[in-house]
Amino acid sequence: MTEIRLDGLKKRFGSDMAADGTDLTVESGEYLCILGPTGAGKTTLMRMICGLTEPDEGRVFFGDQDVTYLDTAERGATMLSQTYALFPNMRVKENVLFGSWIKGWPEEESQQLARNILSMMHMESRSKAYPDELSGGQQQRIALARALASGSRVLLLDEPLRALDARLRLELRKDLKGMVKAMGLTAIHVTHDQDEALEMADRIAVLRAGRIIQVGTPKEVFEDPKTPFVANFVGRSNMIQCRVVQSAEGKVVLENEGGLRMEAKDGGQPPGTEVLMAVKVGNTKISTKLPGYFEGRVEKILYEGATITAEVMVKGLGLVYSKLPNRKFDDFREGNTVSVNWSPEKARVFDIPEGGIEYEIRVD
Amino acid sequence: MAIERCHNLFTHATGLPLVAMSLIDRLDGASSKRRVKRFWLILVILIFLILIILPSIYVLFEAVSQWGSINEVVSDSGKMAVIWGAVGNSFSIAFIVTIIDIIVGIPMAWLMVRKNFPGKRFVDTLIDMPLAFPTAALGFSVAIFWGIPQGLDVPGLGIVVSPYVLVILLHLIFTYPYMVRTLSGILEQLDPNFETAGMTLGASRFTAVRTITLPLFRAGLVTGFILCFARSLSETGGTYIALNLIGKQSAFFTGPTFISDLKNQAGSEAAMPELILISVLLIVFALLMLFVAKLMMDKVKIPWSKVWPKFERRISRGLAVKMRNGLSSFFLALFIIIPSFFIFSFLLIEGPLPDMAGLFKAMGISFLVAGAATMFDIIFGIPMALYIARNKDKGLGKALDMLVNVPLIIPTTALGLSLYLFWSSASLPGLVLVILGHISFTYPLVVRNVIGAVEEVDPSYEEIAKTLGAKPFQAFRKVLLPVIQSSVLAGAILAFTRSLGETGATIAIDPTINTVPIYIVNLINKFRDLNNPDYVYQAAVASITLTAVCFVMMVAVKYVTRRKLGGRGHD
Repeated sequence: MTEIRLDGLKKRFGSDMAADGTDLTVESGEYLCILGPTGAGKTTLMRMICGLTEPDEGRVFFGDQDVTYLDTAERGATMLSQTYALFPNMRVKENVLFGSWIKGWPEEESQQLARNILSMMHMESRSKAYPDELSGGQQQRIALARALASGSRVLLLDEPLRALDARLRLELRKDLKGMVKAMGLTAIHVTHDQDEALEMADRIAVLRAGRIIQVGTPKEVFEDPKTPFVANFVGRSNMIQCRVVQSAEGKVVLENEGGLRMEAKDGGQPPGTEVLMAVKVGNTKISTKLPGYFEGRVEKILYEGATITAEVMVKGLGLVYSKLPNRKFDDFREGNTVSVNWSPEKARVFDIPEGGIEYEIRVD
Repeated sequence: MAIERCHNLFTHATGLPLVAMSLIDRLDGASSKRRVKRFWLILVILIFLILIILPSIYVLFEAVSQWGSINEVVSDSGKMAVIWGAVGNSFSIAFIVTIIDIIVGIPMAWLMVRKNFPGKRFVDTLIDMPLAFPTAALGFSVAIFWGIPQGLDVPGLGIVVSPYVLVILLHLIFTYPYMVRTLSGILEQLDPNFETAGMTLGASRFTAVRTITLPLFRAGLVTGFILCFARSLSETGGTYIALNLIGKQSAFFTGPTFISDLKNQAGSEAAMPELILISVLLIVFALLMLFVAKLMMDKVKIPWSKVWPKFERRISRGLAVKMRNGLSSFFLALFIIIPSFFIFSFLLIEGPLPDMAGLFKAMGISFLVAGAATMFDIIFGIPMALYIARNKDKGLGKALDMLVNVPLIIPTTALGLSLYLFWSSASLPGLVLVILGHISFTYPLVVRNVIGAVEEVDPSYEEIAKTLGAKPFQAFRKVLLPVIQSSVLAGAILAFTRSLGETGATIAIDPTINTVPIYIVNLINKFRDLNNPDYVYQAAVASITLTAVCFVMMVAVKYVTRRKLGGRGHD
C-alpha cells in the first residue's frame, strides 16, 4: 500500500531551487533514506512532507488524501530533528508524553505507554531528568521515544544521528531501524552519510539540487548507479573520460586521450562516442606482479583501519585511487610501480553529462 | 516483547474518543485552519496599523488639511519664536543629556560588567531605581533638591537657577539607567578575550578597549542614544512640575511642556494650529533623528587607528583607574540617586494630608488605564512579536520591525495630540482615548521584549511539537510560552509602570482624566494659582505613594528577570 506520494513538488528560496519537480512514492512500512550532499534540499523535502513548509507547486498525498495544505498537526507525520528539540521546560517523561497529552488520551493508558517506551529505550531511571541533564545519546533516545509515543504512522528523521560521536552512531543505526520496523512505522530518513543510508535503508532516494536522481535498493544504487554523480557519491569512484573503441559480448573497449586502453560493461554507446567511465575505488585493484590496463607510480598509501587507500599517479591520466584490505599494507611502498586493473563488469560507462564533468562529480 | 506491548497499546489508545470541547480546545482547533491563521495575522497587523501607528502620526495629515490656519501661526513671528525656542530647547536638552549619559555611562557599565566588588548587587538595583520613579515625582524631587522653589521653604541645595540646567539635571536621572543598561547588555556579550589578546600584543588596557571593544559596541551606543534621546524628548510631567516649582513655567518651554501648558488652559481649541505645528515639528525631527541614528549604525566608521601609547598607558593604571571608578560612583550618587530620593524629605515635615479619597480614585483610574493598556499589549503584541521574530528576513517582517519603533521615538505629548485629533470625530469617551494613547507608547515595550526572547528560542521546538500533533495554538501555549513567559511578564510590567508614570500623553488627550500624575500636576497648578504651599505638600505625598507602587512593580521585574537568568541550565 502506498503511504506517501509526492507529485511534482517545487520550492524556491530566492534563486535556489530547493525542490525542482520532486516525485516520490513511499510504501507503507518502508524505511526510505533520502541521501544527498549538503544543500541538496533534503530538509526542505522533509518539511514539505510534514507541512512545516508549503510547496510552491505540486501536491503531497498521504494514502489517497491530498494533504498539501493540511495543517501539520493533522497529518500524523512526526519529525525527529538533528537537534532533538527536547522541550527544555519539561522532564523526560513529560516530553515523551507530549503527543498523548496534546491529543487528550486517557491518563492511565498514556502513563503505561510512557513506561513501556522508556523501558524499551532503557531510560526508565532518567524519566524525571530535564533534557539538559542528559548526554547526547540519551537525548537522542528520548527524542525517538517521544516520536514513537506520538501515535503517528509516519516518522521523519532529519539526520537523527548527526550530532552523536562515531561509535554511538554506528550502534544506534541498528537500534533505530529495529524499533521503527517493530512498530510497523513508515520512515523517511534524511542523511548525507552514504554508509548510514546503505546500511539502514530498504530503498535509497539520491537527491541533488532539488531533484531525485535515482531511487532503488542500496545494492542497486551502489552497484548500478544511473549517473556519474551517483557512482561517485555512493561509494567513491575513479572517473575517466574516454572514447568507445569497440563493443562485444556486453563489454566495451575504451581509450582515453593519452592512448591508454581499458574495458568496461557495455552501456549501449556505439564506437566513437565520448563517454565517462566510472569504477568504484574498492573495485580498482593494483598489483606489482600481475598485468593490468596501465601502470602507475604509488604516490601515497593511507592506512584507514580495516582498509588502505593507495594513490597511484598514471601518466596521461592523473591520480587513480585503489581501496584495498589492510593486510595488503605491506605489499606496497611509495614509489613502487604498479599495474592497475578491474573486472570489466564492475566498471560503468555513462554519456558525457550535460552540466559538464566537473559539476557532475562534485559531491559538496 | 516490550515493543509489541507498545504497539498494541497504540491501537487501543488512538481509538478513544476525544474529551469534551472547552473554549481553549476550540481555539486550538481553529488555529490549525489556514483561513483562521491568515485572518488572525491580518487582524493583528491591521490593529497595529489602525489603532497604533496611524493615530500616532495622524497630526501630520491634519497639518496639511489645516494648512491655512497653521500658516497664520507661521507668519506670526512672536509665536514662532516661542515655538522654535521650545523645539530647540527640547532637542538641545535631549542631545546634551544623551552625551553626558554616554560619557558617564560607559565607565559605569564597565564597572558593573567587568568588575566584582562588595555590594555590586545593591548598586545594580540603585541604577535601575529611577526607572521605578514616576517622572512627575522625579521632577518634584529634583526641583527641590537643586533649584530654588518659589514660595516654598524646603531644605534643598538651592544652587541651580537656570531652568535649562535644571531640566538637564532632571532628564539625566531617568535616561541614565537606559544608557547603562544598554551598554552593559552589549558588554556582557562581548568576549573579554579580544581585549586580552590586544593587551598580550602590547596595547595598554585603555588602548585595547578603545580600539577593540568600543568599535564592537557601536550598535549598543546607537541603541542607547536613541532610547535616551527619545525618553528625554518625550518627558512632560516631571519637567512641567519642576519648571512650575521654580516659577519659570511661563518663561521657559520645552516642546511637551508648551503643549501641556496650552492644553491646560481654557479654550485650548483656539490654540489648535499652534499645537499641531509644534507636534508636527517634534514628530518630524524625532523621526529624522531615528533615521540618522540608524544610518550611523550601518554606515559611519570612526577612525580608531591613531594611538597615543604613553598617554593611554598612564590613564590605564593606578590612580587614573581609581579616579575613574570613584568619579562614576560619585556621579551616580550625587546626580542620580540623592536627587531622586530627596522628595522623601517631605515625610519629615508636618503638613496636611491630601484628599485621600481623591488620591485613591486617581490611583484607581491610573491602574485601570495601565491595566487595560497592558492587557491589550499582551494580546495583540505577542502575535506581532512572534511574526516579526520569525519573519525578519521578509519584507513585511522588516517593515513591521521598523514601524514598531515609531511610537517609541515620538514624544508622547505630540502622540497624544495626534491621537486626540484622529479620534475627534468618533466622539469616544475620554477614558477610552487615554487608554488608546497609553497603548500606543507601551505596545513597543512589550513587542520589543518578546521579539528578543523569541529570537533566542530555537524554532524547531514549536515545529517538532506540531509534528507530534500539536495544533499551532497548542504548540504556542505548551512549548513556546513557558520558555518566554518571564520576558513577557517583564515587558508587561515595564509597560504597566511606564503607563502609571505617564503625564504628557494624558494631558494632550484629555486633561480631565484624573490619573495620579495628572492629579499631582493639578495640585501644583493650584499651588501656583493660589500660592498655598499646602498643595505642594499634598502633591509630595501623592508622588511618594505613586513612587512606592511603581517601586514594588520594579522589584517584581527584577525578581522575574533574575529568576529567568538564575534558572536551570548547564553552561
